[in-house]
Amino acid sequence: MLKLEDVNTYYGGSHVIQGLSLEVETGAAVCILGRNGVGKTTTLRTIMGLTPARSGSIRIGDQDTRGWPAHRIACSGVAYVPAERNIFPGLSVEENLRLGARPPCEEGREGWTLEKVYEYFPVLGERRHGGGAKLSGGEQQMLAIGRALMGNPRLLLLDEPSQGLSPILVENVARIVRDLCREHDLTMLLVEQNFRVALEMADIHYLMGTKSIIQDQVTSEDLINNEELIKCHLSV
Amino acid sequence: MASVIQIILNGLVLGGVFLIVAIGLNIIYGLNRVMNLAHGSLYALGAYFGYTLVTGKVLLFGLDFEFGGLNFFLALILAPALVGLVGWVLERVLIEPMRDRPMIYTLILTYGLMFLIDGLIKANWGDTPHYIIPPEFLQKPVYIGDFSYPAYRFALLVGVAVVMGLLMTLLNRTRMGINMRAAADIPEMVSALGVNLKAVRVGAFVLGCVMAGIAGFLVGPLYPILPIMGHDMLISSFVVIVIGGLGSLRGVIVAALLVGFVQALAEAVITNFAMVIVYMLMAVILVFKPYGILGEGKFE
Repeated sequence: MLKLEDVNTYYGGSHVIQGLSLEVETGAAVCILGRNGVGKTTTLRTIMGLTPARSGSIRIGDQDTRGWPAHRIACSGVAYVPAERNIFPGLSVEENLRLGARPPCEEGREGWTLEKVYEYFPVLGERRHGGGAKLSGGEQQMLAIGRALMGNPRLLLLDEPSQGLSPILVENVARIVRDLCREHDLTMLLVEQNFRVALEMADIHYLMGTKSIIQDQVTSEDLINNEELIKCHLSV
Repeated sequence: MASVIQIILNGLVLGGVFLIVAIGLNIIYGLNRVMNLAHGSLYALGAYFGYTLVTGKVLLFGLDFEFGGLNFFLALILAPALVGLVGWVLERVLIEPMRDRPMIYTLILTYGLMFLIDGLIKANWGDTPHYIIPPEFLQKPVYIGDFSYPAYRFALLVGVAVVMGLLMTLLNRTRMGINMRAAADIPEMVSALGVNLKAVRVGAFVLGCVMAGIAGFLVGPLYPILPIMGHDMLISSFVVIVIGGLGSLRGVIVAALLVGFVQALAEAVITNFAMVIVYMLMAVILVFKPYGILGEGKFE
């Protein structure tokens, strides 16, 4: 579904991602684990086309999307949920969802509708006409995910879904997202610094050190059994 | 008593015109981060296009020709559309290449553009004042008891209400409008959701220019159409935007009416001093309420 090879990204003059490669199989739930500031968010932004890669190759499905504008990448079936959620404060909950709406890529597939999103997230249905700015952190996260789903994506990019949420809410969101991906054949790539959330949501993990991947594809089990790896790359 | 009603109505007329021009300027700024100093010139262009379409006397730098002249209301739609077309060309050719540069570039660019358009207007239509002749049924005054008021001014108020109604419908009910409102908040996220941000920005720029064109046309039957008519309007709409708060729709409505009333009062009573009050109000707001009279503005 997604394959990055030797990708390099710059913010102005600084080389933030250096020769990053990774692969996400169709239907997989993959997590990039790493500390704050190693370039996890930039990796997602690079895939999304918001911070374009300067070199390397990015393949989504069977297309090379490097150099594509963000909206074209989104229309090819990629949805992005940023860590800040980026809910539009001037729009109602329903308008936020409608803004994300896009017909499904594969013809004949049943697409997401407002009703279906409200079924998964009843609280959004209750607040459909309220302003996006008035939601709590957890509700904003649900809205951001619901809005991403409205685009009928094949690939879901999640940036630190646990950020700013209480442990119970984190568990809630993690469970909903996992169920969603299973039921709708969604491929997911998430980035996290919270080890437990990563284990809960993904099966395959990449460890990211400063500016690049340092440990290729480990399964959740390997990760639990390899304390040294975690100590080295995740603990403060 | 009659003169008080007259001042109020005049204030509404002026405020309505300020409102349409300033909202156009505000929409362009909100989505493009361009302070369009040529906005007043596009307003003038709306009046001149209107004059040309209604009279049927087309001046094209010497390649002049005449046709029968169009119906006033048809021209009211066509003239702003032509201004929108000019806006589209300006955005594509001049504004878009400056997109990633600091705002000072487009500030200087549109400043130059203002003189260019004004110069072209003067070269083509000359210095003498023109008027747009409204349809006959709008040329007479309307009598309410012993109070009379020009029918065209009433019609202008209706026109402003219709334009604002259409604009609100566009912004609140259409996909394009939702895209625009979202892009004014977090542009990047709009493109991450699959919306072509460039198209939204062009759309907003053209919409802003159309608004200026509508206002120019509506004013055509009231005040003389002159090459410099855009300058005062640009200043006034700046004042409106500053008092209302940059990027605040509701603030602009309040501010436009306020400035309209003060200017109407100025024309009727204290003439020279009233506009000074407006500028002082603007200064006070800038210092003490930089986010506008309702505190809703967004500065970058």
